[in-house]
Amino acid sequence: MLTLYKARSVITMNPSMPRASAVLVRDGNILEVGEPERMQPWLEGQQFRLDEQFADKVICPGFIDPHLHPSMAAVLLPMEFITAMRWKLPWGDVEPVSDLPAFDARMQALHRSKPAGEPLFIWGYHQLWHGDMDKIRIHQVSNQRPIIIWHRSFHELYMNDPAMSMAGIDPAQIKPGLQIDIDKGRFFELGLGFAINRLNPWILAPEKYAQGLGRLKQVVHHGGHTSIGDLATGLFNLDAEAKALTEQLEGDNVPFRTRLVVHGTRLTQGGRKPEEGPAMAADLLRHNSHRLSFSRHIKLFSDGAFFSQLAQMQEPGYIDGHHGEWLAAPEELERHIRAYWLAGYQIHVHVTGDLGLELTLDILQKMQDEKPRFNHGFTFEHFGFSTPEQIRRIKALGGQVSANVYYLHELSNNYAKSGIGYERASQMARVGSCFAAGINTTVHSDFTMAPAEPLYNMWVAVNRINHEGQVMGAAEKLTQQQALEAITINAAHTIGIADITGSLRAGKRADFTVLDDDPLNCDPMVLRDIGICATVFEGRVFPIP
Amino acid sequence: MSDSVASSHSIPITLIGGYLGAGKTTLINKILSYPGLPPGTAVLVNDFGDINIDESLIRGASNDGTVIGLSNGCICCSISNDLSKALDELHGLEVEHVIMETSGVAEPARVWQHCHYPGFTPMACVVLIDASSYAARCQDKYVGSLVRAQAAQAHLHVVSKADLNPGFELHHLTPQLSSQDPDLIETILRWQHVDDGTFTDLLLLNKPSFRAQTWYQEETIARNSLDALLNNLGKSVQRVKGWVDTFEGIYKVSKVGSVATMTKLKDNEPRPTILGLVIIAYGDACSISESIEQAGALASGQITMTFSS
Repeated sequence: MLTLYKARSVITMNPSMPRASAVLVRDGNILEVGEPERMQPWLEGQQFRLDEQFADKVICPGFIDPHLHPSMAAVLLPMEFITAMRWKLPWGDVEPVSDLPAFDARMQALHRSKPAGEPLFIWGYHQLWHGDMDKIRIHQVSNQRPIIIWHRSFHELYMNDPAMSMAGIDPAQIKPGLQIDIDKGRFFELGLGFAINRLNPWILAPEKYAQGLGRLKQVVHHGGHTSIGDLATGLFNLDAEAKALTEQLEGDNVPFRTRLVVHGTRLTQGGRKPEEGPAMAADLLRHNSHRLSFSRHIKLFSDGAFFSQLAQMQEPGYIDGHHGEWLAAPEELERHIRAYWLAGYQIHVHVTGDLGLELTLDILQKMQDEKPRFNHGFTFEHFGFSTPEQIRRIKALGGQVSANVYYLHELSNNYAKSGIGYERASQMARVGSCFAAGINTTVHSDFTMAPAEPLYNMWVAVNRINHEGQVMGAAEKLTQQQALEAITINAAHTIGIADITGSLRAGKRADFTVLDDDPLNCDPMVLRDIGICATVFEGRVFPIP
Repeated sequence: MSDSVASSHSIPITLIGGYLGAGKTTLINKILSYPGLPPGTAVLVNDFGDINIDESLIRGASNDGTVIGLSNGCICCSISNDLSKALDELHGLEVEHVIMETSGVAEPARVWQHCHYPGFTPMACVVLIDASSYAARCQDKYVGSLVRAQAAQAHLHVVSKADLNPGFELHHLTPQLSSQDPDLIETILRWQHVDDGTFTDLLLLNKPSFRAQTWYQEETIARNSLDALLNNLGKSVQRVKGWVDTFEGIYKVSKVGSVATMTKLKDNEPRPTILGLVIIAYGDACSISESIEQAGALASGQITMTFSS
């Protein structure tokens, strides 16, 4: 059966024919993109269905987020959000809550909406907006219901007394230690681990986790994605994750495919040598199913977390003189990279600071000297800080970039004032230069670090506006065309699926994101508000209510 | 496992730090096979990867394979990226002392904070220094600041691979042992760092322990004052090391047992960046503090001494 989709406009992301008005689909694949009158040779003598439900809409290639974390999202999504930034979630928009009274009022409202006794988990608190937190403040909302407040950065949480007794934590038994402030109900760093170990029955219970993955499925669909990358499969436990993903993200009702990129150092942990990794990773391919697939990709890590100011910075470093951290010794990172480079893998390395990037570039240079490779797809993931000189090196060494541009929106102001100063903070996510250099460049959410909304990322990349409304690093703005490339065809290249998706042309899968407005011709300021009315995954329509 | 935090005493943790390749795993292997390892010692490693445990020693392993029980009453436990989980697991077992390997890229001071985990308390931070590569690593653009911080945050240095660089000298007034020292393991097991110069009531008070105090030299002294100081230290003092400026020149000082050596620095030798002595003593808390006080009293009559531990 053939289906002919007509639209107000079709944006193809095929540079040889950027626009069209219709797409002809058979069995989930595109037969032809173009004008209906030229498609007659396909249609003659065939039964076909004319589908005009998108006749006044704009069809784009299905959006792709090449780097997010379903397993982490599954833990977070069952919680209530109170956040300083807007989060659009399928079960309702989370409006920004940007001061102390508003936070407490929202907490109060959530408390009233829940059946008595049910623990209330809240995520998104940040002292910069919401003021200092402690359990006394939570007790003003309730000293009966267990309430747990998770910090935006995930690095600390607060509990009231009922929550502590629910988790079996007796304040009298906590000796003065540096990472639990028991009088405030505050748990951070290792103290956070202590708390989580005791909250696990509530947050990691199999039904909660399944509920979380179910919500993730909705989030991904509502963001307009038809493909995503899980950029650290095996972060918690490879077998358990693979099983849960198969149960939740495979099947006819799942409107997207997932490229699984395994966590390299976790893979060989427990006594295996990094050199054994490539064969172990290749073995995972036999588990591939229609929507869930490993490939010869591997994820490795360079420097520390961006939200915690642990990115490794070149001179002049951080204003307060602290240093970032390495997630592995440089020699260990090199050893892992070499193992996968020699085995022909596409390597994705988490880099946040410009020193982390410099190290990874030095290693890539060494690999090219030892065994030159073309079209290797080595990808710099997150790409917080960089220098113009490093952009040249990325280009010269054949690397590509997957940037978290949302950092610029939420963190550049903070980094300018209390991190590294305005100049470098305003130039985080130097993606304009990447495009100018001809580097394949995509953007991602790292969900739940940023909202899984490609149009929001597109808005940030095009406008470079921080949460205070100031333009940061205007020279690095992307055009709307570039930003749309970033969330479609370039993303597809990055996770190795450009042969089947990422643009609309004969032979590719019929993966569409259907928009109310044209993202290339609209006011750039409305990009993040464009309505998404449906996605089409392999020819099947999944409406977004 | 919440009841476990109720246990009346905190379990001391000794950290084993140092950069990749400095010999942490070798040291851990030595500790695991040390015949005098007290029962109830738990050795926490990042990964079982390179750890050698004699098959005959293995008594059993936990279901998830992260804890291995040994026939000498000790256990070896893999941290596997989740220190809090590993520590919580230890709490259910009969553990008296934890030896914890830190990651090669960890700053010991950050891990020291982690040792305040409920039910635990930090005891000492031992950092391995690779004599063959330390100087070069300190200049490295990626890990220079980290390697320097690791050395600076240690309470006890263990110098490894000295055979590859015989002239190696670490200009720190931090107590120092060689990885070849016959008493190495015993010293590490009994090393106790004291934060503020007062002896805490937490640890091993019924057992002798090693401690160190450092005297930072502020004024030039007479050579005979130095002799008197070295000759009159209490019996609990095991070793003395450092550099002291006298009216006759700077002396490199080393005292092992009753044998003191003082070598005058030649004019063409580089002047040490820090002047002073580190004094290592062994015994129970009382005898150590007496010995240190003696030394202090003796010295205070003749020279200004500022002690800090």
